[in-house]
Amino acid sequence: MSTLAAQRPPSRAESWALGATGLAALFGLWTLLAISGVVPAQFLPTPWAVAQRFVELTHTPFTGYTIQQHLASSVQRYLLGFGLAAVIGVPLGLAMGWFRWLDDIVTPLFEAIRFVAPIAWVPFAALWFGTGIGGPTLIIFMGAFPPALVNAYRGARFVEPRLIEAAQTLGAGDWRIIAQVLLPASVPSIVAGLRISAGLGWQSLVGAELIVASSGIGYLIVKGQSNISTSTVMAGMVAIGIVGFAIDVALRRVEARIHARRGQ
Amino acid sequence: MSAIVFEGVKRVFQRDGRDFPTLDGIDLTVAEREFVAIVGPSGCGKTTCLRMVAGLEFPTHGKVTVGGATVDAPGPDRAVVFQQFALFPWKTVAENIEFGLKSKGVANGTRSETIARFVELMGLQGYESAFPHQLSGGMQQRVAIARAYALDPAVLLMDEPFGALDAQTRTVMQEELVRIARTNPRTVLFITHAVEEAVYLADRVVVMTRRPGRIREIVDVASVRRSEHWDRHERIEEVMDQASFVHLRTHIWKLLREQQRPNEH
Amino acid sequence: MSRRRSSRWGVGLASIAATLVAWYVLMATGVVSSARFASPREFWAALVQINVQGYADARLWQHVWHSSKLVAMGFAVAVAVGVPLGLAMGWSRRAEAFFNPPFLLIRPIPPLAWIPLAIVWLGLGDAAKVMVIFMAAFVPSVINSHAGVRAIEPYLVEASAMLGVRRWPFVREVLVPGALPYIFTGLRLSLQAAWTTLVAAELVGALHGLGQVLNAAAQDIYPAMILVGMVFVGIAGAAMTWLLGVAERRAMPWRAA
Repeated sequence: MSTLAAQRPPSRAESWALGATGLAALFGLWTLLAISGVVPAQFLPTPWAVAQRFVELTHTPFTGYTIQQHLASSVQRYLLGFGLAAVIGVPLGLAMGWFRWLDDIVTPLFEAIRFVAPIAWVPFAALWFGTGIGGPTLIIFMGAFPPALVNAYRGARFVEPRLIEAAQTLGAGDWRIIAQVLLPASVPSIVAGLRISAGLGWQSLVGAELIVASSGIGYLIVKGQSNISTSTVMAGMVAIGIVGFAIDVALRRVEARIHARRGQ
Repeated sequence: MSAIVFEGVKRVFQRDGRDFPTLDGIDLTVAEREFVAIVGPSGCGKTTCLRMVAGLEFPTHGKVTVGGATVDAPGPDRAVVFQQFALFPWKTVAENIEFGLKSKGVANGTRSETIARFVELMGLQGYESAFPHQLSGGMQQRVAIARAYALDPAVLLMDEPFGALDAQTRTVMQEELVRIARTNPRTVLFITHAVEEAVYLADRVVVMTRRPGRIREIVDVASVRRSEHWDRHERIEEVMDQASFVHLRTHIWKLLREQQRPNEH
Repeated sequence: MSRRRSSRWGVGLASIAATLVAWYVLMATGVVSSARFASPREFWAALVQINVQGYADARLWQHVWHSSKLVAMGFAVAVAVGVPLGLAMGWSRRAEAFFNPPFLLIRPIPPLAWIPLAIVWLGLGDAAKVMVIFMAAFVPSVINSHAGVRAIEPYLVEASAMLGVRRWPFVREVLVPGALPYIFTGLRLSLQAAWTTLVAAELVGALHGLGQVLNAAAQDIYPAMILVGMVFVGIAGAAMTWLLGVAERRAMPWRAA
């Protein structure tokens, strides 16, 4: 009779072996498909060819810039858009959390806009900014703003009432309470929101650059596509993935540091 | 056959290459149909003992047998009542009780009868289609007990079952458990840190030392209960008022007091 | 308390009304140039046009229907593959050890970044869109189903073992219902990602769909139609989220309100 037996967790070695097998399966299948000619080489380069192309792009410009230069362009816009979203979204969210009247005014407007996917702003971005830096920045902002706002709002609104009461019984005035109780209490939520913001902002950037840019990593892959240079497209995707991953890891570290300081 | 035997049971945790012994040689026999309670300070390993009988944990030395067979896996012959109730939130009361019966392959008609019987036994009439979140803690634990009894287990394992309940509900549940245990006797292992509860419910009370846990003393309550006729009293507070009860309780308290470190209260 | 509630509603409505009035005034007075944005009247005219005559080769409902069909297809396949995979990875440490590394490689690639590759492989037609939608919807389903399994209280698993529940009844009656709240979160995220990605893919190149409407309107420099497109992207997104919410409440009748 087979019942639900207690699982024996895999040993470290077993986990490593399984992981390596998983990766090997992925790359093996890919290479097999590429080499066998089932898919024409132009549409499916081998992993090695993609790696080579990546390296090539670091010293041979494509559509005018090397891959690092494209990335630098992208990161610039990204930081601008994300920065704006954070600088506007966090204070506004906090204020909405603390002052109910502000919440009542802003929330309906926010809810109305929130459902419009950031990418849908592209036509207006093109109309208003052409292919200048404003276009992608707007899209990134529309993507990064909601999580920054919402999480700052939640952090401010749902502070433990006991903390506020304690501060009041100690005789703190309103501004004191905001600065020394509400603000620090909201920090974890703010940071979590910024991490999500950063991720969504990066995704929005890529989308924007597919359409309204003349440089940047998104532009690189869309140009790769129109030249039917699949290895360029894949190399670009790898670059996008690496940067996105790095951003997420960096922000998780920051988050962990903050939690550790607070003893959580 | 449902006697529980602990033979030289030790349990050692290993972390970072160091050994942390939690149980240091337990030898205990729970006779068939005997109700044994284990009390002891936090971390003494009393819950671990129960879980080893349940087959949810295993000794590093020695062995645990039930009815002569070594325990190697969980099963419905050793039904567990958990402190957190462990009811499935997406199943109704009836479905929760039914789940174990279905797994045993009990036929549909018999299942319904059994469910009805235990719903009545535990006073759950009218709640068969309710979900756990709609019930109070006491009611949920009744369902858990009904579920355990419905399995017709040889052994009943109760891990601080009333620990999550408020004081009044707890008292009511203790009286209920006595009533059921007298009418449906089984081998019971009952973990608690409430001494009065142990003395009220059990035939024998095992007092453990603090970690690494050993048996400090086994107190025979059943003989006192018989000779002092505690069962003559209907209410729990009357029983607990008896001088003989107080004497036993105090004795066990003193044993536990010894276990505390000098700078604890 | 109900006076507070109604005053909040009042302020909210007033806020929206004020914004609409501001919109009208800004356009009418020319503060915002009509080359860059549309007045309420122009918006209305464009809305009528796309409904009656059509725009970008089809009427509004045809565009919406076409987009919705593609989303439904990609979403369905992504969920059918992603949820079981996530459940398996959550339950079996071995499955997790095997699938995690390749998954971690794919995960950081934003869904929109798959668009050019999909176009290279499958052209500008529906197939490429479905592929991209799949890539977008797949990841949240896996991640959240995985989390859902891990969120199941260990004592429920122990109780199942104690009750003698066998493997497949366990999956059916404990694992899936236990993970369901998180699975639905994953479905919600998957659906949003699917929709967003489709609009983006259609913006890059398509023959039908709301994204295509946006694209055509951008090229025609027709701000009113852009606005119409955006509004309906928003409405479609909200409608799907709402539908999923309804499904969620019906699928989990045991949840406390």
